[in-house]
Amino acid sequence: MNRRSGALLFLSPAVAILLLFTLFPFAFTLALSFARVSLVGGLSLRFGGLANWSRLVHDDRFWNALENTVVIVVVGVAAEFVLGLSLALLVNRPLRGGNVFRTLFILPMALAPIAIGYIWRMIYHETIGPLNALLALVGLSPIPWLSDGDVALASIILTDVWHWTPFMFIVLLAALQSLPLEVLEAAQIDGTTGWQLFRYIVFPMLLPTALTAIILRVLEAFKIVDEIFIITGGGPGVSTESLTLHAYYVGFLSFDLAYGATIALGLFLLVLAVALLALRVVRPYMGVET
Amino acid sequence: MTGRRRWVAAGIYAALGLWSVFVVFPLYWMLIASFKDPLAVSQGPTFIPWVDFQPTLAAWKAILFGIERETIGKPLTNSILIGLGSTSLAVVVGALAAYGIARLPVRVGPMKNQDILFWIVSQRIMPPIITGIALFLMLRAFRLVDTRMGMTLVYTAFNLPLAAWLMHNFFQQVPADIEEAALVDGATRAQALWHVVVPVSVPGLIATFLFCLVFAWNEFLLALILTFDRARTMPILIAAQHSQRWIEWWSLSAMSLITIAPVVLITLALQRYLILNVLAGAGR
Repeated sequence: MNRRSGALLFLSPAVAILLLFTLFPFAFTLALSFARVSLVGGLSLRFGGLANWSRLVHDDRFWNALENTVVIVVVGVAAEFVLGLSLALLVNRPLRGGNVFRTLFILPMALAPIAIGYIWRMIYHETIGPLNALLALVGLSPIPWLSDGDVALASIILTDVWHWTPFMFIVLLAALQSLPLEVLEAAQIDGTTGWQLFRYIVFPMLLPTALTAIILRVLEAFKIVDEIFIITGGGPGVSTESLTLHAYYVGFLSFDLAYGATIALGLFLLVLAVALLALRVVRPYMGVET
Repeated sequence: MTGRRRWVAAGIYAALGLWSVFVVFPLYWMLIASFKDPLAVSQGPTFIPWVDFQPTLAAWKAILFGIERETIGKPLTNSILIGLGSTSLAVVVGALAAYGIARLPVRVGPMKNQDILFWIVSQRIMPPIITGIALFLMLRAFRLVDTRMGMTLVYTAFNLPLAAWLMHNFFQQVPADIEEAALVDGATRAQALWHVVVPVSVPGLIATFLFCLVFAWNEFLLALILTFDRARTMPILIAAQHSQRWIEWWSLSAMSLITIAPVVLITLALQRYLILNVLAGAGR
């Protein structure tokens, strides 16, 4: 057995599984988007041309879901980055109880999104939930957390921030702790402190990790569905419906698999475009580590 | 300590305390909800046990020993079996691939080691709704919809990119010298792998296993599409309860806590490793 074939032996199970369960389904879904599907009396596929795709382009509900998804991704990830970075900077020093804070701050990202959605739906409940009761206590009027479209979208984002700020926190904390101490000490000896130290020394060194974390988080956030499914179910109306949720409803509640597949591919094209763009924009910054 | 520094320290603790409250309050709310009786829920929010409501163990008794036991038994078993099965498979297959990429020259067409690793990892980016629609039809054709077998296979593929990536990071930190020495001494690649590589890889394998287990345990969308009854997992159970009897917060909270508890334990076990080893490599 030579080394070349040995390597293939190691790789082939993984490649086989991914071909079977990721790449082939992807091709199948692509085919579905050009098909008409009937599940009555066994599955039958017929060529449907561009019908699904032209329907997609003219589907207001698709564009609405796309807009919702983009708003959640942009606002949510930006907030998570700023908060995660702030918390990492605050914790990255000798602190009494530092370990407790760290563990606590990481915790939400590990919890089942379904349970998180459910927790927050209780909290947002407008009559028997705690938030409006606390507002009333300080004399403020109740907020329509889930019954007003725009507020509901903000509520979804707040839940996402609770869930995923930990990711930014832990990645940036790890990066902060691996910064070369000599550089920081040299800068401090030169009299650089506080904001200047952060702006001109720490931040540039953090940038590659920060960009990686943002890209990873953005690509994940585009898939958001679990929490929305529980908290609002996409409502009121369709004002919090994400692309994945829309595709699921069309594919598995209306049982229009072909058009559901087309919506899912719309999401895929969006994610792909963002990934390629991110790689292009980010690459120049990735080299300037120190 | 000067006065100014003391104020700065107080400010830092205040900010950290504020965020702690934000993190803990929702979890606290769910915990106390599981000890509430119907009145304590439906008559408006109650905050502190023994102060504004009388805690009861009714929900927990019903789930652990009573009428809800039937409801939760099968999904819990499914979650455990599917989680452990798929995670074991993903870690073994992912570790093999990672080892091949980390230690041997690989070439598939124009792709070399790093390209293949990138290809494997990039599969994680694919939104699951895309594969989900096709997987539904594929599993249906093989009568694997709503079976543990089907879910185990799907979750293996779901976790494989993560497993391969984490194990690759790990193998890069383990020096190749010892295995090279074993190979020079006449061991076969398989012997070197089993007697030399596996023993030193145990920490990496365990951490990778726990990471993948958490993802399989928490996964929702694919389970929603691919199971209905026999193979449904805990997240699906909770989601279904919720649409049927939304106001029964006590019972839903207890079920959610059962789902969350193992993951909290895993996080506590992993958090040191998480900071030190895995994500420190994120910037590379």
